[in-house]
Amino acid sequence: MSSTPVNFETTKSFLIDTTKCTGCRGCQVACKQWNQLKAENTKFFSGEGYQNPPLMSEFTFTRVKFKDYQKNGQNEFAFYKEMCMHCNEPACASVCPVGAFKKTAEGPVVYDAGRCIGCRFCMIACPFAVPKYEWSKAFPLVRKCTGCYSRVKEGLQPACATACPTAITYGSRGDMLKEAEKRLKNRPTRYHQAIYGKEEAGGTSVLYLTHQPLDELGFKPVTKRALPSYTWQALRLVPGIFLTVGGGLSLLSWFTHRTERIRREEAFKNSKVQPETTESETKEEGK
Amino acid sequence: MTAAKLIINEIKGYHRFLKFMIAMVVLGALASLVRFIFGLGVTTNLNDVYPWGLWISFDVVTAVPLAAGAFTLGAIVHCFHIKKLEPLVRPAIVTGFLGYSLVSVGLLLDLGQPQRAWHTMVYWNVHSPMFEVSMCIMAYTTVLFLEFLSPVCEKFGYHVPLRVLRWLEMPLVIGAASISTLHQSSLGTFFLIAVDKLHALWYNPLLPLLFWLSAIFTGISIIILEATMVHRFMGQPDESELLEVLTKILPWILGVYLIVKMAATTLLSHGPLFDRPSLLSLFVAEVVIGLLVPMFMFMKKTCREDQRMQLRGASLVIFGVVLNRFNVSMFGMEQADQAIYYPSIIESLVTLGIIAAHILFFVLLAKYFPIFEHHPETVDYSIPDHVHGTNAGHDHAAVSNRAAN
Repeated sequence: MSSTPVNFETTKSFLIDTTKCTGCRGCQVACKQWNQLKAENTKFFSGEGYQNPPLMSEFTFTRVKFKDYQKNGQNEFAFYKEMCMHCNEPACASVCPVGAFKKTAEGPVVYDAGRCIGCRFCMIACPFAVPKYEWSKAFPLVRKCTGCYSRVKEGLQPACATACPTAITYGSRGDMLKEAEKRLKNRPTRYHQAIYGKEEAGGTSVLYLTHQPLDELGFKPVTKRALPSYTWQALRLVPGIFLTVGGGLSLLSWFTHRTERIRREEAFKNSKVQPETTESETKEEGK
Repeated sequence: MTAAKLIINEIKGYHRFLKFMIAMVVLGALASLVRFIFGLGVTTNLNDVYPWGLWISFDVVTAVPLAAGAFTLGAIVHCFHIKKLEPLVRPAIVTGFLGYSLVSVGLLLDLGQPQRAWHTMVYWNVHSPMFEVSMCIMAYTTVLFLEFLSPVCEKFGYHVPLRVLRWLEMPLVIGAASISTLHQSSLGTFFLIAVDKLHALWYNPLLPLLFWLSAIFTGISIIILEATMVHRFMGQPDESELLEVLTKILPWILGVYLIVKMAATTLLSHGPLFDRPSLLSLFVAEVVIGLLVPMFMFMKKTCREDQRMQLRGASLVIFGVVLNRFNVSMFGMEQADQAIYYPSIIESLVTLGIIAAHILFFVLLAKYFPIFEHHPETVDYSIPDHVHGTNAGHDHAAVSNRAAN
């Protein structure tokens, strides 16, 4: 978990307006180039539709999903850029036993490969199925979108946002939310009236605007509560339970052993007279 | 004869079953070697959709409650002071120690970077259930190792450590119960993060409590199973009268668990319960076969007293808990539209090897160390004139020494 509190108004966020996306996949190419990711051997229709590669993977941190639909009797495409959502309170950071994930003050959720032990709990925890594993390696690590932290830190925009000609706006989360709400209000017929990422998983640094209802485009329905709170509500009880069980059992043992202790003490007193009779009581019984 | 020849001759004298177990362990070790040479992706059926498979579901999530006998019985015998069950304690500790050691092996095989396992001790993240469980498993394996040292010291006649261990007995028992409470329940906390993934039949905020309660009755059932097996196949005395005490406790814990489980499932879960027939049947199987049947069996006196029924009831409980852990960590996590995960041959061989290793090491330890012949009042904890080199004066030690030679 990040140690310093992060102000989610000022964290940098992506506003992705899928109604403006042309499906050029410049973002996919820019991402591969900046992160120096290997190309994947792809075939058409190996996944759900036209999109390639079929899924995000250790070599593909972002990809544009294609969705066929009918509008006025014509076939149309809708597009959805899939990437790490850079949650305000990331589940991956909360479950990682060695704290390899961190929400930075700038916005991106970054991963420290030097710490990772490869347990894959982040992959179980992520509600958006973002972290991917290096299945090709004997000693694998996790890979995921970095939010181009190295660029953002230096005041640049992420590679995909720079490459995108139409759909991606990048700025502070507060501004992006305002901008999104303005667009929803100004053109109510163009947009499905929801901002995906505003409250999903407790709020994310990637915000989507769509024309279609979210589930039709393949957005996962996700809880509105920050995920770390689900495990923390149990984990915060750990010290108390430890002390209660330990103390309770100690007390219980003290009482259950009491009669025996008294008998032993009396036997000891008597033993000055008859040393051999208490042989069966000499057994030590804890404290 | 050289030492190697001695060992080979010793192994030649083993029962066929033990030789078969040795072969399984060797196969498992080879399979895990293959995993390290070729990587997880090629040797397992794991992928980005199923990052956790058989090794987590069985070797960790299921094996930990199966090794819960030691802490449950320790608390029953020493804290609740039901002293007559003492003869069952030591085998339970050996089972627990082996169980936890093998959980650690299984966990290390599953990690992508096992050489960095020590990172958990350096980079703390108290928000992570995995951190909590790994710390607890390390601490508890140490406790079990200390408890396990008693028969070792008795065998070799080390009197000073024996006295120290005797003095540590109660703190270790209480420590064992508290640490076990934490990590048994935290294994349930693992799956609280899988909010929209784990099916509503199993996902509810009381999962940690349910995991802890089920660990207790599993621990008791494992002791019944183990004592019965040891009586049948290793020529140890019939303990069914002692086991009857345990079978009296069982229906109570099963009942409490059942009430909590039903209340949590009906009142605290979100989402539809009856939308996936296959998952629903798994849930019903778990509740009926693993809870209701053994609970009603052990409520009847005739069943509690009959050794065969004791074994059957305990086996049902164990079956139920294994199914429950697989439901939570594997079946319940599979989404309706995804391909179904099944373990690869390598994964299965490794897990079978781990189970075989448990049985093998248990039999070997029982063969060479005084595990069943434990009668605390007969052990001499005083320091003799010659501290070293004594034969300890225990008959059983002499017998097992002869067996070893």
